[in-house]
Amino acid sequence: MVSENFGFIVAAYAVVWGGIAVYAWSLARRRGGG
Amino acid sequence: MIETTAAPFPTIRLRPWLGIIAVAAAAIATWMALVWAPTDAVQGDVYRVIYVHVPAAWLAYLAFFIVFLASVGWLWTRRPWFDALAVSSAEIGVLFTGVFIVAGSIWAKPTWGVWWTWDPRLVTTTVMFAMYLGYLLLRSLSTDFARRATRAAVLGVIAVVDIPIVHLSVLWMNSLHQLPTVARIGAGPSLDASMGMTLGISVVAFTLVYFALLIERMAIERGRQGRILESSRATSDSLARSESTSRVTTSG
Repeated sequence: MVSENFGFIVAAYAVVWGGIAVYAWSLARRRGGG
Repeated sequence: MIETTAAPFPTIRLRPWLGIIAVAAAAIATWMALVWAPTDAVQGDVYRVIYVHVPAAWLAYLAFFIVFLASVGWLWTRRPWFDALAVSSAEIGVLFTGVFIVAGSIWAKPTWGVWWTWDPRLVTTTVMFAMYLGYLLLRSLSTDFARRATRAAVLGVIAVVDIPIVHLSVLWMNSLHQLPTVARIGAGPSLDASMGMTLGISVVAFTLVYFALLIERMAIERGRQGRILESSRATSDSLARSESTSRVTTSG
């Protein structure tokens, strides 16, 4: 299980997948807006 | 002659399925990366950042290489489809580059002791990020569709040179950054098999995410192109009509 440097690992995953999720959401909005 | 109709994107039926498969693959890859893969003997658990940092970097390379191919396609054929592909891939490539730079910085702090250093890999990556950000900004400088697409395509062809420079910078110069562990010239991967498998699944997941985003972004761009090209055709038709009317009035 993950334990050591937990904060750094969570931060890196949050940045990458969070960034992609926000971009996907912005695409959905742009499509919705025409 | 530029085609003025925005034909439906050919893979339109793939869209929802690809998105669902990409999300499922991302969930599996994240579970493998955080739980299934073994702890590294040297770095401990923090090495697990590799499973998002490296795939995002490779997909950024792929995205920019597709910008290059699409740019050549536009310059060769003048088909707006290629321009839509180029801008869509560039935007996603910039996203992936941005997130892998930040993830790399987060990984650097516990391993190198600093968030950032002027290392050749980091500098060349930042240059690549700036070039493709410039590519997107360049597109906003002209309202003429063909001129904008051509200028962007020229930059898309030139900027691809930075990809091998980024990848090989750790071999050409003294670097704090780790040497390639998978794509090694003349040697196999230096990763443990289970780590290599997790990295492979992560790359597959990121590739699916890339194509899912690309299809969505292209659909938006093709719709926008259709409106722009129809509007410019309507304007030129209207100008032609008013010119012929004024000619009739003058001769009459």
